[in-house]
This record gives sequence, C-alpha cells and structure tokens, in this order.
Amino acid sequence: MPDVQPLVNGFLSQLKKRKIEGSQATAKQTAEVLRSVISQQRLPHTNQAGALIDAVRAVGEQLIAANPVEIAVGNIVRRVLHIIREEDLSLATDAIAGLGISAGSDDEDDVEQDDHPVLSAAAVAAAARSTLRPPSLQTLLEDMPDSAAVPHTSSSGGESEGKSRSADKGSRGRKLKHDVIEAVNDLIQDISTCHEQIAEQAVEHIHHNEVILTLGSSRTVLEFLCAAKEKKRSFRVFVVEGAPRYQGHVLAKDLAARGLQATVITDSAVFAMISRVNMVIVGAHAVMANGGVIAPVGLNMVALAAQRHAVPFVVLAGSHKLCPLYPHNPEVLLNELRSPSELLDFGEFSDCLDSASGAGSLHVVNPAFDYVPPKLVSLFITDTGGHNPSYMYRLIADYYSADDLVVKGRTTAGS
Amino acid sequence: MGAPKKSGVKVSEEAEELARVPLQAILLADSFTTKFRPITLERPKVLLPLVNVPMIDYTLAWLESAGVEEVFVFCCAHSKQVTSYLKKSEWLSQPNFTVSMIESHHSISAGDALRVIYERNVINGDFVLISGDTVSNMSLTQALQEHKERRKKDNDAIMTMVIKRSKPHPATHQTRLGTDELFMSIDPNTKQLLYYEEKADYAKGILHLDKSLLLDNPSISLHHDKQDCYIDICSPEVLTLFTDNFDYQHLRRHFVKGLLVDDIMGYKIFTHEIHSSYAARIDNFSSYGTVSKDIIHRWTYPLVPDVMFFGKSGTKLERQGMYRASEISQSHSAVVGPFTVLGSGTKIGDNSKISNSVIGQGCTIGSNVQIEGCYIWDNVTIEDDCELRHAIVCDGVTIKSGAVLEPGVVLSFKVVIGPEFVVPSYSKVSLFQQPIEEDSDEELEYADSTSAMNSLMDKYGAEAASQVLETQSSSASELGVGGAGYVWSKCDGGNEEEWRHSVAPIPADKIAEAMEILEDGLDYDGSILPPSGELKSDNDSDIDDIENPRDDSCFGKEVEATFLRLVHENIQEDHVILEVNSLKLSYNKSAADCAGAIFHAMMKYALEIPHSSAGSLVQNVDSILTTWRKLLTSYLAEIDEQIEVILKFEEMCLESAKEYAPLFTKILSIMYDKDIIGEEAVLSWEDEKREADEADKVFVKQAQTFIQWLREAPEEDDDEE
Amino acid sequence: MWYRSASFILDNRQQNVAALAPDTLSISPPGGTTRTSMADTFQNPNPNPVISAYYQTRAAHHGVITSDWLAQAQAATDQNSDPNAISASDVRVSDPDKPFSVIDEFNDWRKQPDLAEAVAAIRALAAVIRSSKATTMMELEIELKKASDSLKSWDETSISLTAGCDLFMRYVTRTAALEYEDFNSAKSRLIERAEKFGEISYKARKVIAMLAQDFIFDGCTILVHGYSRVVLEVLKLAAQNKKLFRVFCTEGRPDRSGLRLSNELAKLDIPVKLLIDSAVAYTMDEVDMVFVGADGVVESGGIINMMGTYQTALVAHSMNKPVYVAAESYKFARLYPLDQKDLAPAPIPIEFGVPVPSKVEIERSARDYTPPQYLTLLFTDLGVLTPSVVSDELIQLYL
Repeated sequence: MPDVQPLVNGFLSQLKKRKIEGSQATAKQTAEVLRSVISQQRLPHTNQAGALIDAVRAVGEQLIAANPVEIAVGNIVRRVLHIIREEDLSLATDAIAGLGISAGSDDEDDVEQDDHPVLSAAAVAAAARSTLRPPSLQTLLEDMPDSAAVPHTSSSGGESEGKSRSADKGSRGRKLKHDVIEAVNDLIQDISTCHEQIAEQAVEHIHHNEVILTLGSSRTVLEFLCAAKEKKRSFRVFVVEGAPRYQGHVLAKDLAARGLQATVITDSAVFAMISRVNMVIVGAHAVMANGGVIAPVGLNMVALAAQRHAVPFVVLAGSHKLCPLYPHNPEVLLNELRSPSELLDFGEFSDCLDSASGAGSLHVVNPAFDYVPPKLVSLFITDTGGHNPSYMYRLIADYYSADDLVVKGRTTAGS
Repeated sequence: MGAPKKSGVKVSEEAEELARVPLQAILLADSFTTKFRPITLERPKVLLPLVNVPMIDYTLAWLESAGVEEVFVFCCAHSKQVTSYLKKSEWLSQPNFTVSMIESHHSISAGDALRVIYERNVINGDFVLISGDTVSNMSLTQALQEHKERRKKDNDAIMTMVIKRSKPHPATHQTRLGTDELFMSIDPNTKQLLYYEEKADYAKGILHLDKSLLLDNPSISLHHDKQDCYIDICSPEVLTLFTDNFDYQHLRRHFVKGLLVDDIMGYKIFTHEIHSSYAARIDNFSSYGTVSKDIIHRWTYPLVPDVMFFGKSGTKLERQGMYRASEISQSHSAVVGPFTVLGSGTKIGDNSKISNSVIGQGCTIGSNVQIEGCYIWDNVTIEDDCELRHAIVCDGVTIKSGAVLEPGVVLSFKVVIGPEFVVPSYSKVSLFQQPIEEDSDEELEYADSTSAMNSLMDKYGAEAASQVLETQSSSASELGVGGAGYVWSKCDGGNEEEWRHSVAPIPADKIAEAMEILEDGLDYDGSILPPSGELKSDNDSDIDDIENPRDDSCFGKEVEATFLRLVHENIQEDHVILEVNSLKLSYNKSAADCAGAIFHAMMKYALEIPHSSAGSLVQNVDSILTTWRKLLTSYLAEIDEQIEVILKFEEMCLESAKEYAPLFTKILSIMYDKDIIGEEAVLSWEDEKREADEADKVFVKQAQTFIQWLREAPEEDDDEE
Repeated sequence: MWYRSASFILDNRQQNVAALAPDTLSISPPGGTTRTSMADTFQNPNPNPVISAYYQTRAAHHGVITSDWLAQAQAATDQNSDPNAISASDVRVSDPDKPFSVIDEFNDWRKQPDLAEAVAAIRALAAVIRSSKATTMMELEIELKKASDSLKSWDETSISLTAGCDLFMRYVTRTAALEYEDFNSAKSRLIERAEKFGEISYKARKVIAMLAQDFIFDGCTILVHGYSRVVLEVLKLAAQNKKLFRVFCTEGRPDRSGLRLSNELAKLDIPVKLLIDSAVAYTMDEVDMVFVGADGVVESGGIINMMGTYQTALVAHSMNKPVYVAAESYKFARLYPLDQKDLAPAPIPIEFGVPVPSKVEIERSARDYTPPQYLTLLFTDLGVLTPSVVSDELIQLYL
C-alpha cells in the first residue's frame, strides 16, 4: 500500500519527535491513520479479515514503537483490531446462519482442520465468538491446543461459503471494509466527543459550595468543571500548578475566563490545603488494566494526600485512555524523562554540571509521569459512566480482544 | 486562512512570504581542523559516533525538526564516506526534507566551502549555516523571525548568531566544551554583536576594546559566559561576502571579525540567546565528552538514545540513567554504573565495572575490566583485567589482557594494545604514522594531508594496510607484545593543549597550577598596569586600544621586522610595501593599521639610533621620515589613516616612548612639511579631541600654536588661489 | 469446613459424611489409613492426625528431606511406607481383572513428579470414561460424577484435585450440551481432550512464564517462597532471556522446598540466596517483588499456598512490594474461605530435630490462605489478572 506509506511515515516521525502532545490528539490521529490504512488495503478473496488485521498490526507495531510512552496509540491500534474481528464475526455468523446445516457437511469435507468432527453452525459461531473474549476457564479444555485454528474457523466460514457462492465474495469483502471503516469512524467520533460525555456526568458529582482540587491541565477536567458551573453549581477550584511545566497556570487561566473561582497553589502546598477540599478531580495520561493511573508527575502525591484525609480521588478518562495492559515497573518503563532544562537553567548551572573539568556532578531528573496505584483511586469517570478501579478490567474486556494484547511480533495466535 | 480584514492583511502577507521560501541550510560535513586526529585520518568527523549515533544524524535530525526543508551537505574530506553513509540512511527519503550533497575536494576551509556553494547558486534566501558536528534541540522559529524582522528594518543585518549561556571554568578559562573562553560584547538593546574574541589573553586578565566601541554605542554589555553555538542564520549576502573576500577562511576568526572591524560595508551581526534549549558544537575531544554527557543527561531531549529518533530501536532507559540496547549479555557479577550507555550485542564478563561510559555495538569486554568515563565505539575487544579511564577507543580496537589506558588516551581504528602495556596519558595511537608536517598550523586541513593516506588505504585496502602495519609494529612493539599502531608524538603546543582538549577531566594539579598563574597574573598586572617607559618587551610596546591584542602584537611585530629588514638589508621599498600588504591581508587589517604600525616601527627605530639630545632625536626622525616617506605615504591615502598616525604617535608619546612627548609638535610639523599628513587630518584630529578628557588633550594643547597656524594657513592658501 | 458456593453446600455435606466414614465406602483407598500410621510412628503424639496426601506428595516431589529425617523415617516405617504407589502399580500390572479404581489410577498418575495434580485427576477421570460401559451421555455423566466425588473425598486437602475434577465435569456437561450426534464420538472426544490436558497444563506454564517476563526487570531482586513449578518456569525463562536478577529463596519449612528451588536455580546460574523463613521481613527492603505459586486460587482472588505465604505477603504489603502469584487457571477453585481456619486442615509431619514432649501441641498445617488484598497480580494462562477477576472467571464457568 504505497499510498498510505507517506501518511504513516509522517505520523511516525511526529510521534518519534514527540511533536504530538495529549492522548486525545494522538488517539484521534492514530485512528485516522489506521482508517486510511484500512481503506487502502486491497483485500484478497479469502481470509479478508486476516489481511486487514495483518495490515493494521504491521502499521500499529511501528506506531507503538515510535513512542512507547504514548499509550493511547497502542490502545487505538488494539481497538481497531478488535473492531475488525467483531465486524468479521458478525458477518460470518450471518453467513453461517444462512447456510444452516449444509455448512456442517461442508466442514466434514474439510479434513485438514477437522477438529470439530460434527459441529452445528451454532457451535462454530460460539467457538468463534469465544475467540473475541479473553481466554477463560471455559475454553481451557475446549480449544487450547488448537487455538491457532480458531481464528481460522471464523474465516473458514467465509471460505466454505465462498466455495458455494463465489458471486458473493466481492460484495462481502466490500461489506467488511465498509463496516470496519464505519466502526472506526464511530470510534473517532467517540474520541472527539468524550469530553462532552464525561462532562455530562459532572452534575452528579459536584455539589454546591464544594471545594475541588485538581492538578495539571486537562481539557477533560476543564470541560467537566465548566459543565457543573453551567448547571448553576457554585464551587471553588484549587489548581495545583504542576511544576516544572506549570500547566496548572494554564488551567487556572481558562477556568477564570469561564467564570469559575480558581485558586492556584504550589505543588508543595497540597497537603496543607487538602483538608479543606471535598473532592480531587484530575485527568489521566492512561489508565491501566488494574485500575492504576499514569498521570502527570505529582499526582501520586496528591492521591496520597487525598487518601490521608479521606478525600475522594476521582479520575476522568476517555475510553481511549484505557489500556489493556498491566503495568510493570511503571515508574520507569512507562515514563518519559524530559529535558532537565525545564527544571533549571543550563547557563546558570553550567559550571557545576558534570563537565570536562570533573569538578561537579549535578544531575537533574525530570520525569513526566507518575503512577497512581489503583487503591488510591476512588472512582473513574469515563464516557460510559463511573467505575470502580477494580472494574476497569471488565470495561477493557469490552473494548479489546485478548489476541491483540501483544501487537508486536506474533506469528500465530495462541496465548 | 481566515484573517481579519484590515490588520490581518499585512500579517498574512508576511506569513505567506515566510511560507513561500523554503528554509534552507548549509551543513558543513567537514570541520577543516585537525583536532580529531588521528581518528579523522580514517573517518570524517561528522561520522564519528556520539553516544552510538553518528554526529551528522544529530545535526540532520535537528534541522529536520526545526523546520528546515532543504539541506546542502558540503562534503570535502572523506566525501565518499559521507555520501555513501547518507545514501544508505533514511535522510534522503524523509518527507518535506531534502538533503543534497555538494562535493568539493579542493576546499580547505569553511570560506572555500561557502564560495563553492555560492558558485552553485542554490541558496536563494535566508539559510542556516551549521557544521555537521552540532547537537541542538532549539527551536528556530523565534530566531528566524527576529532575523527576518531585523532584515526588514535594516538590510545590513545579515547574520544572527546563536549563543547560549555557559560559564567558563574560573581557573583554566575554558568553557565546558574545552574551547577557550569567549569574550563578546553585545548591545543589550539591539542584541547586535560588537566584539568577538575567543583567544583573549587570559593570562594577563586584560581585555582590549576599541574606544570607538564605547563612543558609538550608548550601552554595551560584555560577556565572557556565553558560548558560541556555531549555529548561524545568514542572509544570502554572507555568501557574497565570502566570495568577495577571497581571504576569508575561518567563519569566526576571519568572517565575523572582519565584519566587525569593517565599517565601510556596515554589515551587522546580531545574536540570539537561547535559554531553555540546548546547542553545542563538538570542537575537540573535550567537547566530545561533555556533549556525550549532556546527551546522556537528557539536556538534548528529544535527541536522546531511548527516543527512536534515528530509526534505531531497542535502547531503553533504566533507573539512574542507564541506557541499554537489546541483546546484551552481561555477567551477574558485572556492575554497570549510572549514566552508562550499552550498545546492542555487547558482552560483559565477570566482575567488570563500567561507569559513566558509552559502549558501542558488538563489543566484548572480559572479566575484571574497569571502565570509567570512556567512549568505546563498535566491535572493540577488551580482554580481562584491563583498566580504562577517560579514553576514546575507536572501532575494532583490541586491548589485550592487563593493559591500562591512562586518562586522555585516544586509540584510533583497529589499534592493538599488547598485554600488560600501559598507554600513557594523552597519547594518541593510530595504525597510521603521524604525517610529518613542517608547518603544523592549526588551519591545515586534513583533506589535504590525508590524501596520501587515502590513496594508501585505497591501494591496499584497510585490511591489508593494517596488516602491513601490524607486522611492522609488532617487531617495534611500541605498544607491547603483539601491539599494532604508532604512538603519535605530541603536537599542538605540547602538553599544555593536550590536557585542555582531552576527554579526561582536567587533572587537579593542572587546575591548581592554573589558579596559581591566575593569581600571579593578577599581581603582575596590578603592578605593571601603569605603563612604564621601557621598550624592551615586544608585547608591552603593543598595548594599544585595538581589538585584538594577540593578532595585533604579531602584526605590529611583523611589520616592524619588515621595516628593520628594509633598513638593514637594503631591500627595495616596493617589496616592503608588497610584504606589508600581504601582512595586512593575512591579519585582516586596514590600511590605517598598516600606517600606524609602520609609523610606530619608524619612530621606534629613530629612538634606537643613538642620540645625545632632543634635537638629535628630532633630526633622526626627520631623516628617517625623509628616507622612507614613500613607504609611509602609500598607506596614507585617506584622511582617516593620517589621523590614525597622529593618534598612534600621541599614544607612543603617552605610553611607550615618552622621549617624544616634548617633541610632539615639532615632529608633527615635520610630518606636515613632508606631506605625510595633511592639514585636514590635523584639524579633524583636534576636532575629535575636543570632546575628550583633559588628560587626552595634553598634546592638543601642546600643538595649539601649530594648529592655530594651520587654521590660518588655509585661508592664505585660499587667498593665494 | 470449606464454604463452597451455595449450590455446592448440599453435596458438600454429603461428602463430609462420606469422608468421616471412609471405611463404609467400597471405593476407599487402601492406603488411606496405613499412611496415617506411617506418619504416626515417630515423634507425633497426636492421636488422630489426617496427614494430607497432597502435601505428602509435594514434599516427596519437591521437598528436600534431610538425611536424619530420612534415617528416622526409614527406621520408623515398615514395608508399607509407601503403600499407595506400590499397591497401585501392583494392581495395574499384576491384576488386570481387578475392578477399576479411579483412586488407584489417580495415584498412579500422581507419582510422576512433573505431572500436576489436576492433570492426574483429569487423566484418572478419562480412564473412567474409557473403562465405562455406559451407553448414553447421561449414564456416563453419572458415572463420572461418582468417580470425581470419590476422588475429591479421597483427599480433601488437594485443591487442584477438586478444581481439576470440577473443571472436567463441567466440560463434560457442556460437551453433552453441544449435541454430538453420536455418543461414541463424543466419548472419544472427551478422552482425547483429557489426554491432552497434560499438554495444556505444560503449555499453561509456558504461557505464564511468558506473561511474567515483562515484570522482571534487570537488576531486580525476587523473593520466592516455596517450590513451584510455575515460578521455576518463570525464572528459567527470565534467565534464558538474559535478564539480570537475583533470587532470595526462603527455606520453606518443613519440607524445605526452598532448598530444592535454590538448587535448581543455582544450576541455571541464577544468583540465589537462601533465607530462613523468619528472615523474610529482615530482607524485604532489598526485595523488589515477591513471587509465589499457589496450590489453589479461591473465588475471592486470594490464594491457598504453602505455609508462610500469608506472612510473606503481609510483610511485602506493608513494605509496598508487589506480590505476584503464578498459577495455572485449573487451580481456580470454587471456595470462599473467610479466614485461615476455614480451610480443611492439611496436616503434615513436621520434624523439629529434637523430641517434642507430648504435652506440647504442634501446629502442623501445611498451608495458609492469603487474602486478595495482599496480592498484586496473578499470572495465569488466562492472562494477567487482578485478584478480583478470578471470581469473574469462576462465575462465567459455573453459572
């Protein structure tokens, strides 16, 4: 697909250069790039979904590698893969339902993958559907050893169908592509409107005369607070400035411009102020499958302060921020160490930096993110509603296929 | 673009104008120096790995991210290697970013390079001039905008230099990058560069500024803590200037200083200081080490090893600044310390310790090896029990067991160090013999002198050459049993320079020494500052208010020597004029400087001829001026030069040759009589002095009668006419 | 007593009755009582201990038994010391006509050290199918149910045995529901799946090892309590992947399974340090993560594992170190223990080196229950799970 390659490359280099900031923008662009990948992909006559999945996976692998810290990229790649699988499945079940019992006899001819000697159409569909779900105890005995054959089953429906009705082939390919693109469009739509969806719930959470504390600048938080304000709730907002990038200043300005009462406090004043706060509402960079949050640096401190004073700690996150992976060593591996120049002036300290004279050895570490463990989070508010941290995995299971958790370097399915 | 109606029109026009001309850049893939020898004999400097990535990749990556759309890479030395590297790299296939190569084998300086580029006629707007060994993450937008705005107002603002604050070492007067302390004076309001001096005589702690600098500018600020990033935003005129002045070689020493001195053209250079972003040029081994460390400490973010900027993958940052690539096999007992980069496929044996170092790809490190502060490139084999401190080890080097590299050692490609051999500090070892240079000037380009080497390489192929050399040197065993390579004798001013420009940190004793010198120097200056009447020291006689003391003293001395040869050896006057002219060009001086220097030499000579009284001194002067009048007047075409001579004379009377003080008027009138100086010159000199301090007016007052007479004389002349 | 899910409480009660009177069941194992006597013979004044067969086998397979203990045991035991093994094999070899016993079959499989208990159980049940003379699915199911119940009651302490039986039974029911046209093909399919279960279990370990790799970072220190094949597999793979880490092994009293693990790790060139069980808190500050296996994963998401796991997890939790559990999904059991004593006791012989006066009571439970709040993540072949996901999985299967 030579046509999309420049597009992909452009996006890749932007990702590599850290030119795109914010998970929403990244998520949206990723979805758009993948959409054009899908629309450009030529589909073979058999195993169309497989071809699409391979194409998306190949591009997705590059995108994820370009900036492993921007988790939204991987999330969207997996979401799109999941969409393809679901669309393919719904087409397959439709087709099989139409074929009825004759499909069973078709399968019998197909000796090479005859693991299910006599299976009804319903059984095929059930088996196929189960592939979209994570492996479970149910499937443990049933399909484990030949799980490689399972994705095959879903396409074999198309295959056997193709044998009997070759005229149907082209139209089905078009239909699949069309459906997938439609679904990806919906996804893009969801990403762009997630602020509103989240903000709609504001009024349920923010009450009159409350004091809200927030850190950093998140558009979701801004919209959320403003939505509450529009509903005639009057409340005050403490904005923690969020050194070294001081994004809190930006948020405070925006809040004041929208007519909210905002107070800026330093990062170090969080503990001092938290006893007066009714609720902490913050945005997130990503939400992991265990309910842990990757967030701007300093947030763990705020969460601990909130826990100490039993202040509810609410995290707002659009569904594109839900990551199906579990964090390991998140403080290091899911972090980005940015330039020390955000902290201090190079010129001022140049004589005591580790220089050729060997005299000084001043080191500066400037991590971009914090990891907030799930036990410190009281509530997640996503575009689908409020959720407990321990429920996140269930939410994630709805959005992602288990087969796609590892996007990179997989030859055959089978986990 | 939905610009608002009226005010928006102009803005959008400007924006369009900005957009219309694609931003171009000239990347000099040649440093035109020999500082990285012996490594650069085999590989061009821009391809040397800096934290495992060739330097040129940093520069290109920055140019690309800064929005430059078209880059001309000028290759000279090892141009084949550079072009083949670029052809293999991804740089040629980036969207919105074209890289084209310009090759020239005859260029021996940046000036030549720019002249070649001018001839190609490819630059058609403002461009960024950068060397291929520069690492930066700055945003060009603001600097570029400032430059363009200045250009709009003032067509003479042809260049914007990027500078960055960086404090020099208090004792050694070196910047962090190992270069000499840089003095520059900048107009704090307009940011115009007024003065630039990198070889200030720090031993004496004196800086000489042109008086006119203070006269012409309402305020100037003098900086010694600024670092020149060698990133210039230039207008096309810069290329023209280089072409017009064929003797401009060095970008700073000739071009910048030339522009600053030259009032006629009126071109101006401005500065743009960056604060939060990073920029540095790798000039010598010391800056190689410093910049590497800055990269590891992430000052250059996002140009850091774990960000996949260069299409290479797999390096991950772990705790405490440890960068690891993939497929590293490390013994459990090996200790890898903080701020270390390990390249892929590297093996590390038991109990080895590595800290603050960069290890390239495919290296094999044995057991019990100690590595500290080293830069080890690819495929290096280090056997057991070796000890390496602050060394640069190039590709394919083998260090046999038990060998020791003392701080500052540089091992060039494929050198073999024998077992148990101790390589002394600051030695440079190469498979190639040190070229014999009769005139080891810093400006000498490696392109030139390595052509022989290159042909040798081509003839035998690198392998064969190294084998030949190996057999030779194993018998010589200059590097222990089985060693291969030649230890280069120290050059560039001996040990002094070695420690200044090495990767090794400056040893404590050197710093102590420097501190001592510094203190001594201050004492010395304190006592000597009021000028004495002695003439014996060459340096002292030259303390003039000209910008460049070192160049100046040399120039003065050379002119004086030339003049004395004329006196003693009976050389033809024309020849002397020619010789002085050439000196003028090479030192980048004006005619006034020449006149001043010649006059100074004459007066000094006159003073040296034995004389009994003031009267005989005047006679001496008279005869000398008569004899060599032609020599002097050939530089006195303009009134400015004549004034310069008077000023010079005045200074001499005040400082170096007080014997002349009482005779000032007399000699002035002699010069007037001999048509050396015209009356306008004298009058304008007096005019100039009217504003000056009382102390400066001593001679004006002394010559008052003469001036008075002159004032009346022209009237007479007029009458006569 | 164990608390199972509501529907099971009824059968459970029946089983308990059965367990209390093993002699009344014709199917009861011959070794059940002799075994007790064997363990009784030395330094155990407890009048009526029921030695856990499961933990006994574990000790035999994984524990390091000191020489003096062996000597004592040798001296104390008669030729009946290992009646199960001998009799089981005897039965199979010499007397093919003897009526088929699922427990013998099970014990036969169980002797293989590499075979998980659940695998043995499922294989035993497969043998039941093979020898079954049932002609309908329903008959077969009833027969299997009987066999599995007897197996479960044979060793109440083995959770994987119970879980394995339950899992297989569930599968049989589901397969029956899939309306195979032909009874024989359904039967052969069941047998085939059961035979393959060993493979599944082996593969599960590989999957878990793979999943856990990401969590082992260079330079980390891992504390391991007890001997677990899965944990060993994880560490083995990490070593193969050239990860740099060191392992602290607890001694794992009383069967000293930690010694065995440290031996295995040393063979793989992994730096390993052996601790006494009481040094866990002492060393915890150096530790980056705790890895344990599990004998069973219960519905709450907690685990039942070798004695000492609970305290290790408590220490780790209080020092904010992650506790990772590696367990195959067939160890998920439908239990919901509320506290430690909620578990059926699984006593094992404990050797103190010196004679203990008979008045002194000895706590000889082999296992404890670690509540889910002290666990960070579970690595299973179903993926990486938080403890709360376990109940979800179980509900999906059984409801």
